[in-house]
Order: sequence, then structure tokens, then C-alpha cells
Amino acid sequence: MAEAAQSLKPPEPAGQPILQLRNVDRIFDSFAAVDRITLDIYEREFFTIVGPSGSGKTTMVRMLVGMDKPTNGDILLRGERINDVPANRRPTCMVFQSLALFPHRTVGQNIEFPLKMRGVDAATRRKRALELLDQLRLPQSYYGKMVTQCSGGERQRVALARALAFDPEILFFDEPLSALDYRLRKLLEKELKDIHRETGKTFVYITHSLEEAMVMSDRIGVMNRGRFVQIGTPREIYGSPHSRFVSEFMGEVNVIEVRGEAGAVVDAAGTRFATPVVAADFDTGTLVVRPEDVRFVGAGESADNRLTGVIYNEYLLGSRVQYQVRVGEGQTFLVEKLRDQMPPGGPGSAVTIGWDARDSMVFPASRLQQ
Amino acid sequence: MSRASDFAAEAPAPLRAIRAPSRLASLGRWFAEPGVVAAAPLALLMLGGFLGPLLLVVVFAFMPGGTFSILQVPTLANFVEIVANSYYLSFLASLWLAALTVVICLVVCYPVAFAMVRVFGRHGSILALLITAPLFVADNLRLMGWVLFLVKGGVVSGSLQTWFGIEVDSMLYTSGATLFGLVYIYLPFMLFPIIMGISMVPEQMREAAFDLGATRFQVLREVDVPLAMPGILIGSLMTFILAAGSLTEARTLGGNAVTMIAMDIQKEFGFAQNWPKGSALAVLMILLAGALAVTALKRIDLDLIFGRK
Amino acid sequence: MKRKNLLQSFSQSRREFLHMSAAIAGSIAASSTMSRSAFAARENELNIYCWEGYNSDKVLDPFRKEFKTNVKAQGLISDPDAVNKLRAGETKVWDIINLNNAWGRRQLFPENLIVPLDQARFKPKWDMVLPEFKWPYYWAMSNDGKNLLGMVQRFGPSGVNVNTDKISRETVQNDGYEIFLADDFKGKYAVLMYDDWVIMHLCMACGFSPFDNLSDAQIATYETAMRKLINNAAFLSDDMNAIALGMVNGSIIGSFPGSTYTVSAARFDGNANLRCVIPKKGPNNKPGVCWMELTSTVNNPELSPRAADFLEYCYRPEVCKNVSFAEGTYNPVTQMGDKRVMALYSKEELDAIQFDTLDEDMALCSDFDIIPNYPKLHEIFATAVRERKA
Repeated sequence: MAEAAQSLKPPEPAGQPILQLRNVDRIFDSFAAVDRITLDIYEREFFTIVGPSGSGKTTMVRMLVGMDKPTNGDILLRGERINDVPANRRPTCMVFQSLALFPHRTVGQNIEFPLKMRGVDAATRRKRALELLDQLRLPQSYYGKMVTQCSGGERQRVALARALAFDPEILFFDEPLSALDYRLRKLLEKELKDIHRETGKTFVYITHSLEEAMVMSDRIGVMNRGRFVQIGTPREIYGSPHSRFVSEFMGEVNVIEVRGEAGAVVDAAGTRFATPVVAADFDTGTLVVRPEDVRFVGAGESADNRLTGVIYNEYLLGSRVQYQVRVGEGQTFLVEKLRDQMPPGGPGSAVTIGWDARDSMVFPASRLQQ
Repeated sequence: MSRASDFAAEAPAPLRAIRAPSRLASLGRWFAEPGVVAAAPLALLMLGGFLGPLLLVVVFAFMPGGTFSILQVPTLANFVEIVANSYYLSFLASLWLAALTVVICLVVCYPVAFAMVRVFGRHGSILALLITAPLFVADNLRLMGWVLFLVKGGVVSGSLQTWFGIEVDSMLYTSGATLFGLVYIYLPFMLFPIIMGISMVPEQMREAAFDLGATRFQVLREVDVPLAMPGILIGSLMTFILAAGSLTEARTLGGNAVTMIAMDIQKEFGFAQNWPKGSALAVLMILLAGALAVTALKRIDLDLIFGRK
Repeated sequence: MKRKNLLQSFSQSRREFLHMSAAIAGSIAASSTMSRSAFAARENELNIYCWEGYNSDKVLDPFRKEFKTNVKAQGLISDPDAVNKLRAGETKVWDIINLNNAWGRRQLFPENLIVPLDQARFKPKWDMVLPEFKWPYYWAMSNDGKNLLGMVQRFGPSGVNVNTDKISRETVQNDGYEIFLADDFKGKYAVLMYDDWVIMHLCMACGFSPFDNLSDAQIATYETAMRKLINNAAFLSDDMNAIALGMVNGSIIGSFPGSTYTVSAARFDGNANLRCVIPKKGPNNKPGVCWMELTSTVNNPELSPRAADFLEYCYRPEVCKNVSFAEGTYNPVTQMGDKRVMALYSKEELDAIQFDTLDEDMALCSDFDIIPNYPKLHEIFATAVRERKA
């Protein structure tokens, strides 16, 4: 994962905020789709807004590009209030989920569209369109092809080329990859990251897949019910989620209902779990452990937390294998291992599983309210 | 280009090497398809009920004048007579009035349809109902209503005289009145296809254009109109053909100020008792309308309209 | 009074529409019964195709009740159209056909589209008719005089219609059709577009009978006159109500041609100043043309036995009066020769159909007949309409 190393770059390259939201609300009837959000997006950054459907992320991006207006609050572009500037007079541009390519136009005409609207002459337009085809790794022969004859991935590139032809200061993406198959999506995610680096523009990306966000972003904002529940680098989001919601949003996790008693974390059966320091007591809460942090503990090996159970199911995930382990009454654990770290015996065999204290993520219920 | 190879694999590679089946075999298979079998009775009915009479008209067109039998020696005399006579006047009048009708209906319908789809949204159906409602009344009756409206001493001139003392003569019996009648009667045939055409334009397409810096007028020119074009063309075609083949409007409101080709055809079949000449005129009109329909339909992708793409 | 007229002509066309839709439904039903007819005799159904009036409920409802018969009626709007339909095979649909006089004897019977009536049953009915229609009446008989082709009921003279407030009946009678062809009459009249009637009356206006064979010189005269007639008209219309309305509201003075029945409704409505006038000057001193309708039984392979009953029914005095004053169209009937029939008319009704001058007018009329030069004369007419300079 060479690209993953890219996200180790300083997350705020230029350090200057380009787009700022100040207490922005968007209220439909009495429902706040976007609820008092304050946020800074920095110059040249790849910022991803991630959240489940209905979390308000699309409403938010529509306000950011100018197709909708905030009910309250201000949106500032380089310090200037742009709440009332319509989309066609903002130096920003969006790639739609549907791509919204013009089916009655060729690839070239689609790419040239923003230039034509601006009155750029035909020769210059063509030159720029061909450059963009190169940049987007599309053959120049596609210039005269109808977009309806292009495949899904090709259309994706045409849409991006068209947006780039606009030469926006900020480029928005509204889940443009969601309709593609897994393999192509993975490929284009990485390409998009390359293009971000090559163009040096600010990208704001919307997705419901935290996995997608992890691959591409400098920073991620996780949204739920109209608010950001956590904003941070992919590493922060993965490593120290602030809530059960964020931890679960990443993928399958093991969840244990627990309470906090005198600095210790105990489940209903009275089992004590080793965790990082817990500051205050709480009545209800959850302990979350990622499947990849759980391991099989052999005889003589040690682990901060140990549980015994029986392997119930085995799922092959390509390079990794996932095990469903039954522990006691109705509690199952997911354990994920690389292929070459096979456990002693298949389904039906008794095993001991365990994990380290630092991998226990504890979320008292009060923090669940977010 | 490093990923171009990955990319190419994405398109399914069909096995084109399969030997093309013989034409007869593929025809046989086509007939065995459930869709074809299910459509067969209706298709035959249409063929018999639709093409049969049409074919009869074509045959009659080549019969000598005045006969009521199709078992005569074929002749081109009817066509020669039509060309030698002044029938071109009726053809021209019909085509000219039909063209004007299309233009006026377009100018009126596009904004209305646009408002119904984009502005009124769900409430547009009420407007649609209002526009459809008169269609439940026969068109000659609606035209009669306009006669009472426009005739001297009728609603319009009577009101003008009573309230404003303006003396207005009959507004009927001119080619203008004919055109008015045509626009009035055929407006819905333009409106509804255009509504369909406009609703086919995805809202995101317009937003995208707007977002890419287009002004409202540019969005209209570059996105709205071209993408609604199938509806616009179908509407124009229907309106044109219906108007070109009309006669009631020219008769009721127009007082025969202009003679439409359909009136000439009807005269030949009726009072002139000359079926062959009427048939020959009808054939010419069908050819003209057919050529126009083919030209227009070539430019429309019906699959796109019916959402198969 | 104007408003009444507007309403009246509106309600007439509405009725027309209702009749038309009823008739269309009727003919669909009629054709669907065709397949059944092979098995069931058509004792309880009757399909009639006739000029407006016979299809009114006033005429048909009592018959439906008395004979327990399902009667479908379609109004026809032109003789030739109706003949076309029979020629095209609708003899299988209709039982009764009602057309202007000449068609039966000249075309329908020779073409085997109608069947003769039972003389033993129908001859006595002719005792009721006015003297000029006495048995054996020419238009009701076949060429050889042996067959009775139908029964005659409504009739009327045709000349021109004028508003007598603007131009007196005497002036029109004495000066004749020439008034309409004079330059100063331009834009003051409408042409009633019943093609064959325009042609017949224009021949009369030119001084020759349309029922004679015409010379080339005569046809040339006719063509010049036709172009003038069409070009000078205020408008051309096949809607007699629209024309009557024009005369009432003053936009025109007269109508060429014009018949008693094209103004009788307006007259009955209080416009006594509208009148059908027959000029005195003209070929054979009969420059008018009179029509009478012949009601016949169609040569239907499954002819309803009710058809003859219906013809007989139409000769009952009260039915004669109902036919004479059917909705929207008022005409004299031949049975006015019978006292029982005459007793049913009021003074206003007789006035509406110009009964005061009916004999005088009829005496000035030639009988509607086949026009030998019709194809040529019609072509000239159609061309004049097409090339009209409005």
C-alpha cells in the first residue's frame, strides 16, 4: 500500500483554510439535515465527508457548491461570505453521483463544456480537452466518441476531466464511485489520489464508505444525524475512534456490553477486561475490539484478555481468514488472521482467544449519544 | 497509461467468433420467441385493419376516374390530373398552415410544459387535467363554441361593443381564424410530448451545467432543449401531420377561406363521387407525411424515450 | 333574441354530437350483431341511416316502446357519403335509408342497394299525400314503373335565403339570382356548401337547367359565374346555423343557395325576416329546385322485419307531425294532404315553414335530379373554392 504512505504527509499542506463553515444549519420543515456545523477545509487538502445515508452529507455538499443555501450560519471562501453566490458564479465544481454527463454530446464536447460556457475559442478548448484526456489516461481518439458509448470507468474519467476543465479552486465529489464494481472502484480511488497530488487542488469527497475515505483522504470527517462526530486523519479515525458509531462504521467489530467500576471494566457476567485507563465510572457502555486485534492464544502464550470458546465458522477473505468463535452463552467473537497464521484445528475445535489491553476500546454510554 | 490494461479488461469481451447462424434459422427462432407469438394476433389485426384499407386506397389511386371498382386497368391519369390542376394550392395551404401551427404551438407549449414539470411539480397534474379536460368534448363542438365566441354579435364582439363601444366585425372566416382553430385544437398534441421530453431531462444534468458555469440561458440552450428534443420532435411531428390533414378548423372557423388538402380529398370521395382521384390525393398526402415522419424519426432515439437505455 | 339563437345553434350541434356518438356506438353494436344474425332473426332490432330528424327520440321512442325494438339511428350529412357507405358494404348494417329523391331511382335501385316495398301494404298510404305527390309518384317508382322504391315524406323548395329587412322578397323574386352575382353584393352573402345544390342553383342562375346536357359555351359561362360567386362570398360554410346566425347578426344579407329548412328554425325562433325565396326568372320558368326525401328499405341480407313497420309507422298522423317538426329542423311533409295531419299544426309552425307561399314556391321548382355534367361542373366548383381569393 504505497498510497497509504501518502497520507502520512502533513495533513494541512498549505496550512491556510480555503473553505470555512460557521454554525451552518440546513433545516427542512422542522428537521435539521445539517445541524450547526463549524468546519475548516484547508488549501490543497483531500477532505472526505463520510457518513451513512441520511446523515446530511449530500445536503452539506449541495450548500458548499451553491445549489442550496444554509438556513443559518455562514459559508466563507477564502474569508468571503458566499452563502448567496449561485453555483454558476462560484469557483467550485462538483462531480455528481450520476456523473451528469451530457448524453447528446461527445466526450470532447463534454470536457469542453465549461470552457465553451466561458467563451473560450474552439482551438484552445480542443487543446485543453486533449491534455485532459492524457491526464485522465484516456486515449485521444475518445475525443469524438459519444459518452453513451463509454464504459462506466471511462465515463468517470470524462466527468473528472470535465470538472478539471472548469479549473475549480475546490473540486467536490458526491459518491461518484458508488455505482462501480469493487475492482474498478479500488483502481479509480488510487487514481483520484494521484490526480489530487498532480493538480494540487482542494478535493472534498463524499462517501458512505469509510474504507474508501481511508484510502484517499488527508482528513476525514465522520457525519451522523447532521453533525460531525469525529474529524481527523485516517490514522486517528482508525486508531482512536471517539465513539462506538465511528468504530462500527469502519467495519465489523466485536462489541461487549460493559460497565465501568472503580477504574475496571466489567461485563454482566462479572468478567473483568483489561483496558487502557478508564477515568470515570459508568453504568452502561461498550467495549469494542477489532477482529484483526484478536488472536488465538496457544498454550504458554500470554494475552491481557483471554476467553475460551469453540470455532463455529470459518470465512475465507482472500489473503485473510475470519473465524466466528462462540464464547459462552450466545456471545460470538470475530477473529481475523492472515492466511498463514492458521489456528490449531478447524470448526468445532476448542480454542482460546485473546487481545491486548491497548486494543480494548471503551465507550461509556454518555458518549454514545452523539 | 500504466493502468490502461487493467482498464480494458473491464469491458466484457464478447466472443465474436461464434459463426453467424443462417438467416432462415434466425428468422425461425424469431418467430418462436414468446414475445413475437404473443404479439401475433394483435399484429395480424393491425396489419389487416390498418394496412388493408391503406392498400385499398393505394390501389384505387391507380384506377380510372369515377369508378367504384378496383378491377380496372391501372392508370396514372389521376396523378396527371392532380399535377395539371391547382391542387398544389391546397397542398401548400395545408403544409404552410401546419408549419405555422407547429411554430406557434412550440412557442406556447415549451414554457407551459417547462413550468408544469419544473415549477409546479406534483401540482402540474392539476394543470394537465385542466388542459386535458376539453379533450373530452368533440373537437367540432369546441370549434362551434369558438364560433359563438368570435362571430359578430357573439361573446367577444358583443362584450367589446357593450362595455367599450368598440364596433368589431366578425372575427371568423379568415385564414387567421383557421390558424387559431388549428393551434387551439392541436395544442395538447404538442404539449404532452414536450412535457414527456422535459421530464426526461435529469435535474442533475441541469445542475451540472449550472455548476460548470453555464448561465440560465446557456442551460436552456445546451441542456434543456437538446435533451427534450425527442419530445419536441414527436410533438411537432404529430401536430404537423394532424394539422396538415385537418379540415374541420378551416371549415368551421375559416369559412373555407383556405382550402385544406383534406377538404379536397373529402370532396372527391363525397360530392364528386370520384374515389380514384380522392385516393390519389390521399396517397400523395400520405407520402408527404410519411417522408416527413421518417426524416424526423431518424433523428429520435425511441429507445431513449422509452427508457430502455 | 340573438342570445336565444346562439344557444339554439349550440344546442343543435350538441344534439348532433350526441346523436353522432350514439350512432357510432349503435353501428358498432350493429356490426357486432352481424355474427349473431346467422343464428337469431333480427326481429327486435332496426338500424336506420337518415337525414337529421328521423333520428330524434321524439320520432323513435314511441316506436321503440310499441314494437319493443332496439332502434339505432345515425344521422347522415351528405347523400353521396351515405351512398358510398352502402356501396362499401354497409348494406349489411342498415335496414332503412333516407335520401334525397333522385338517388333511389337513379342509383340505389339500379345498383341493387335497396329493395322494393310491398305495394299491397303501402299503396293505400299514398291517399294521405298532397296532390302533387299522388300515386304513382315518379321518384318513388323504379324506371319501369313496376316497383315501389320507398315512401316520400319531408320535402321543400330551394332557392336563396335573404333577410327581407334588407332586400324584399319581391325584389329577389323578380331580379332573381343575378342579385347575388352583382358586384355590389360582394361580401354580403355566404355560400351554403352543399356542393350539388350550389352547382344546380348556379346553373339556374346562368339561365340553363343543370339537368340538361350542357354545351361547352354554357360550361364556360358557368365557370366564370362560379368563380365570381365563390370569390365574392363573405364566407363559405356547410353549417346552415352559422349562415342563419350571420343573417341574424347582420354580417350577411343572404345565402346562396337557401332552402326553407335552412331558415325554418330561425324563423320559428322569431326571425320572421329570414326567408327562402324562389326567383321567378329562369329555365323552364322553374329556376328553383325542390327536394323530397325517399325512405327505403336497404338490400340487407338479414333485413329486419321491423323496417316495413317503421315506414308504415312514419305515416301515422302524429308521427308525420313529429318528423315535420323534429328537433332543430322543420319541414313540410307530403302528408299535409291529410286533414288529420294538418290539424296538428299551429299558426307559428306553419309560418316557420313558409306554408303561406309553399304552393307558389314549389310551382317555381324543378325536381332534384341527376346532373349529367356533374363531374365537370363539380371540378369547376372545387377548383374555384381552392383558388378562392378571399
